[in-house]
Amino acid sequence: MKRMKKLVSIMLCLLLAASVLTACKKDDKNEATDTPNATKTPVEKTDDTDGNGDKVKTDDGAKPFELTLGIWPEETLVAEIELHKGYVETFNNDHPNVTVVPAYYKYAVDTFVPKAEAGTLPVIFETWYTDTQKLINGGFVADITDELAARGWLEEINPSIKDLMSKDGRTYGIPRDGYALGLMLNVELFEEAGLVDADGLPIYPKTWDELAQTAKTIKDKTGAAGLCLLAMDNAGGWHFSNIAWAFGATLTLVDADGNYVANIDTPEAIAAMEYVKSLKWEYDVLTADPTVENWGTGFTQLGTGGAAMYLAANDAVNQPTYNNGLAVDKLSIVPMPAGPKGDQYSLSGGTPYMFSKDATPDQINAALDYLVLMGKGPVLNEDGIRANNQYCVDNGIPVIPRFPAWASEDLKAAEDALAAEYSNVDMRLYNDYFDILKKPGNLRQEEPGATQEMYAQLTNVLQAVITDKNADVAALMKTADENYQTILDTTININ
Amino acid sequence: MVKVNKKGQINHRKKPLIQKRDYIGWMIMLPAIILFAFFVWEPILESVRLSLHTAKGFRIEEFVGFDNYKRLFQYPTFLQALKNTFVYIIWSLIIGFFTPMILAILITETVNLKSLFKVGIYFPNIVPGLATVLMWKYIFGEGKTGVINILLSYIGVEPQVWMNNTLLTIPIIVIILTWKGAGATTLIYMANISNIDPALYEAATIDGAGIIKRIKHIILPSIFSLGKMMLILQIISVFQILYEPLVLKQGGPNNASISIMMLVWNYANREFNYPMAAATSVVICIILIVFSGLYFKFTKTKKD
Repeated sequence: MKRMKKLVSIMLCLLLAASVLTACKKDDKNEATDTPNATKTPVEKTDDTDGNGDKVKTDDGAKPFELTLGIWPEETLVAEIELHKGYVETFNNDHPNVTVVPAYYKYAVDTFVPKAEAGTLPVIFETWYTDTQKLINGGFVADITDELAARGWLEEINPSIKDLMSKDGRTYGIPRDGYALGLMLNVELFEEAGLVDADGLPIYPKTWDELAQTAKTIKDKTGAAGLCLLAMDNAGGWHFSNIAWAFGATLTLVDADGNYVANIDTPEAIAAMEYVKSLKWEYDVLTADPTVENWGTGFTQLGTGGAAMYLAANDAVNQPTYNNGLAVDKLSIVPMPAGPKGDQYSLSGGTPYMFSKDATPDQINAALDYLVLMGKGPVLNEDGIRANNQYCVDNGIPVIPRFPAWASEDLKAAEDALAAEYSNVDMRLYNDYFDILKKPGNLRQEEPGATQEMYAQLTNVLQAVITDKNADVAALMKTADENYQTILDTTININ
Repeated sequence: MVKVNKKGQINHRKKPLIQKRDYIGWMIMLPAIILFAFFVWEPILESVRLSLHTAKGFRIEEFVGFDNYKRLFQYPTFLQALKNTFVYIIWSLIIGFFTPMILAILITETVNLKSLFKVGIYFPNIVPGLATVLMWKYIFGEGKTGVINILLSYIGVEPQVWMNNTLLTIPIIVIILTWKGAGATTLIYMANISNIDPALYEAATIDGAGIIKRIKHIILPSIFSLGKMMLILQIISVFQILYEPLVLKQGGPNNASISIMMLVWNYANREFNYPMAAATSVVICIILIVFSGLYFKFTKTKKD
């Protein structure tokens, strides 16, 4: 009996151990584990009704494969999903062998590497301009130079934008949109504060000094914050670098040996930081706590009337309107204010599309074809752009010209004509902004070097001056400069 | 063969690694050992290996010796993070160490509604960690919308900045930790207190000892050794504080609340620099091993 008991217990232990080990089994169906529930099912091939046989006209005997789209809209954007279902329908007419799998993925630094290493990245996804070099260096993204060259797209990409997505002459991404920062206004608050001219257009600040005054008027008259300043994460330093440029600062230099030199504690940059400090302690025109404001909450403040002004760009007009409820005709973008000596720059960049390192050339080509359908490639796709513009009109999103991510003038002109046709806003609210971008020398790329680290250091200083009335700006900037130099010297300068 | 004498003691002359009568024991432990090996030991060794290399993602590239460690010690925020971590520990000892003891004694001495208090005190423990942090974020919110500021406005006090005051950031985070964690520790102390021989109380009462004397001479001495254990466990857990400062203030303002675990998080998730993250983890591990070693030494001499 006792022996029996012993045997049974050994068996049970082994069973338990075995069940532990079964968890190690590799699951081949990887897409099932990471897409959100509602988007898990592949979109129906809508050409089935016609019968598949006679539809195969381009891909004779082409092997069927799946195309996972990380650029699929998130579940809540119902209207946009309908738009994409239309794209898929058209897409499958030419690519009957491709199954499009919606795999909404919003690039986030804490999920990216595990997904990339596990091979569960969608074929195509959006990322940030600031992160492209990091992704290329980490070997997480596919080299698409050959695919782009075959289509003749390589020369079409705006050269300064292409540099951001290239390394050693190879290109790893293409731009979705370009952007250039301007000053976004909540026109309702300007009206409420009486800051409108005879035509009802907002009287906007031309310089940073005027901005402080305007912000004060708005705060006094409406109670809303004048400006939404960001000081939570690196976006704070990102915005600040544009303010610092207006004050005459250049935050990173490159010496004769090609090494990066931190240049944060210059009189100009310190003056810019002093200015930000005065917005809090002298004018008191900021939101209650700038240290909890990030890129997204800034649009919420602007869209819901919490703040009247915000540094933002033309590619994000859907944020205050569609996402946060601001009426389509109450949004305006005006030029970035100038500094005390008239310096005026607009920080420009864009949102890139990149491709999973595991994507096959077929998948990459299919994804590029899909982009053309969406009207995002350098090829004019009138239907795609019309559909997109109609979507914006239907959903209260301003239809305004794109910022050129592609070099072609003709394409730009054709797109602008289509935007004008669908225009649902008073372009006088945007014209000054688009005009200033054409001024030579106005557009400025992000600072080179370990840019994100520099932003982190600047955000620290922002937090200190916003939370401490007696903060010693010069000393804080000096510390930030030293810290950034140390980071540069221990990371990129040694390579 | 192992020879076992009548009293069940093992004959030490010949002792194979695994004795036959231990098989069942090993069998029972096997699943746990597999899990430990796979989820704890292997990753620890892998971290050490990774910290000595450069890598792309998790893929190791080349051996660089202690370069990552050198770079870590030069990193401007490292000393600040290490210092802050000790400040967290000090505040957690001031605020958090005695709170559960006091609560345990109070509840033990309570006559009515004991269960209600027990449940009440344990309740914050079942609230998900992030929910707790977000709730306190609103309570200590800035400006006119923070709960405490709203309450203070009724008595005419101007809105305070709370967590943006760099001197208060860490203490407030420790208060949140204590609010969430104290209940579980209180139950452990209560279990310990309830094990005290009631005869001691009776004798003390007969001798005319009041509640203060009972606490001082009976309860405190009997929970002393448990207290030492709790102390080291608390230090180890607070040393690894991560998501509270991350969610509340991202380590700010101006790095005032950054902890050393946040450095690991930043290295791994902001820069995708896993070797540096591994090096930082190894440093944390070594510091904790030293703490634990000191603890064992300390308790051993006390016991003998």
